[in-house]
Amino acid sequence: MPDLDEDILIRPLSEVDIGDIVEIDEKQGGIYRPEVWEQRVGYYLRRDPEISVVASLEDRVIGFMLGEVRSGEFGLEESTGWIEVLGVDPEFRGQSIGRRLGEQILERIKNRGATTVRTLVDAGQEDLSGFFLALGFEPAPLKPYVRTL
Amino acid sequence: MTTAATTLPGKFHDAVIRWQETYLSDFDFLVDNWEKYFPNDQRFRLCAYREQGICGEIECGELEGQPKFTQACDMDPKRAHQLLGAIRAQASTEFGSIQQHRLTLARAQHEQDQMWVLRMMAEELRHGYQMLHLLLDDDWSHVSEISSADMVEEILSMTTGSHVLGAFNIDFDSFVDNVVFCALIDRVGKFQLAMQQVSAYKPMAESMPPMLREEAFHLATGVVPMRRWVTQAAQGEVYVTMEGLQRAWNKWLPRGLEMFGDERGGGTNVRLGLKPMKNKEAQEGYYKECGKVLRDLNMRYLRARLPKLSRNEAIRALDRILEGEVVQGVGREALLHLPDQRFYRRRGLPAFEMIGTQGEVFEDVAAYTQHLSETLPESYRASADFRGYVDLLRQVNGGEVTAHEASSRAPALRRVGGSCPCSKSVRWVVDSPAESSSLETPLATP
Repeated sequence: MPDLDEDILIRPLSEVDIGDIVEIDEKQGGIYRPEVWEQRVGYYLRRDPEISVVASLEDRVIGFMLGEVRSGEFGLEESTGWIEVLGVDPEFRGQSIGRRLGEQILERIKNRGATTVRTLVDAGQEDLSGFFLALGFEPAPLKPYVRTL
Repeated sequence: MTTAATTLPGKFHDAVIRWQETYLSDFDFLVDNWEKYFPNDQRFRLCAYREQGICGEIECGELEGQPKFTQACDMDPKRAHQLLGAIRAQASTEFGSIQQHRLTLARAQHEQDQMWVLRMMAEELRHGYQMLHLLLDDDWSHVSEISSADMVEEILSMTTGSHVLGAFNIDFDSFVDNVVFCALIDRVGKFQLAMQQVSAYKPMAESMPPMLREEAFHLATGVVPMRRWVTQAAQGEVYVTMEGLQRAWNKWLPRGLEMFGDERGGGTNVRLGLKPMKNKEAQEGYYKECGKVLRDLNMRYLRARLPKLSRNEAIRALDRILEGEVVQGVGREALLHLPDQRFYRRRGLPAFEMIGTQGEVFEDVAAYTQHLSETLPESYRASADFRGYVDLLRQVNGGEVTAHEASSRAPALRRVGGSCPCSKSVRWVVDSPAESSSLETPLATP
């Protein structure tokens, strides 16, 4: 039985992780979407492969957090870290994998010179809101609007 | 973390530009269309980057804990000589891979695949530029009679067939080669760059992080199209078949394994603080990672071929098929397999052993060459590289040369014209000493 605290490795995302990420997404959402993750992982790797991170246990990815540093979005001219995708294998929920991923990605974003990190959470996802609050995030005055066409 | 950018002195920078105009003629198209294909990505810049703030102490070997060397002249000759060989070999591979990719770039079926490879080629150019920067920014005269300027000229004069490492002397036959090369040969690069991050020579260590960031995308340039191809193959498309992909893996994986150097060597690099792992350990990590990529490709294929299977059913089916069962009409022969580490080797411990893709042992040269002809790409079998291997294999088995001697004979001397504008020379480039099967072969990366 692995010791999760000791044996989990948080490391940068790589293309080798695509299969495991597809599997976690399928376990979470019940839909097999390999093309989506091939494009997304390709995107984050070409943007900056050292920011997005995965949690690996015995060479298998059990969690991932994808993000990047951008500027100029929504009038936010300063260099800003964006956390955009988070997934943890349901078998490993409740074992602080997300927290460890979050701490790592925040450190990596800080190392890129950003002083602010942002994310968007669906108001209905209280567990996810709680997760980001626990990581030190707080509600921002920037309010999202949407219109269906 | 900050990164400092610098350019080579004028005439050398111009020489690289001239090289780029010759071998990377689509560069301007890439630059002009950057925003279309890579919106908001930092624009490509031909320069050398150095990461600031890296560890200042030697991280392995006999001088562990002492300050890293900032100048070549402060290093003892053995360390400096070893390092210089690695830099030259690496520069050669960076430029060499562009010469290979250009041959078949236009044959890509998908625009995205083509643009990703083109961007990768531009970044390889930058990696070569980075290595030239290391040669020119320091004084290597205490370990080389050749001036840095002449070393640069020599590197820019090399063409496919005269590069230091074997994988860069093999022509591409189709866009499958571009993609499989990225997935397998650039993966060697990732391992080498990661190891060189701890180099006792600080300018080398500082060069690695920006190169590694770019290399991560190069691997995706190989793996993502392959994942799409196996899906298409499962659906009955005829563009790229599983057999065609398998043959390309058989062609490139042996060359990738050899780029780590002889399995018995690498201790000197560790002792001198240039790399943290011996050749065998790094090679094993590489082989294992290739195995994971391959299993994912097989899973992608199987789920496209048998779409009604659930995830867990597909995992179980894949394991059963790999054990020899036929599941819903899919047998082991339909899937990809990882060639044996000893297959088709010309360097290292298993050089010129007659081992098949599945580890089967051949006693007869004719039977083995027949096996090679059945497992390697047909177009590749018409190449000088394959013929050279078969000739040497016959000599080894005929007792005319030892495997060690055969290893150091390929590729042969080749007369090349200087394409570097700072020279009008035409010279013989001696490949064999640099890539001899010495246990301490200089290691490099595309």
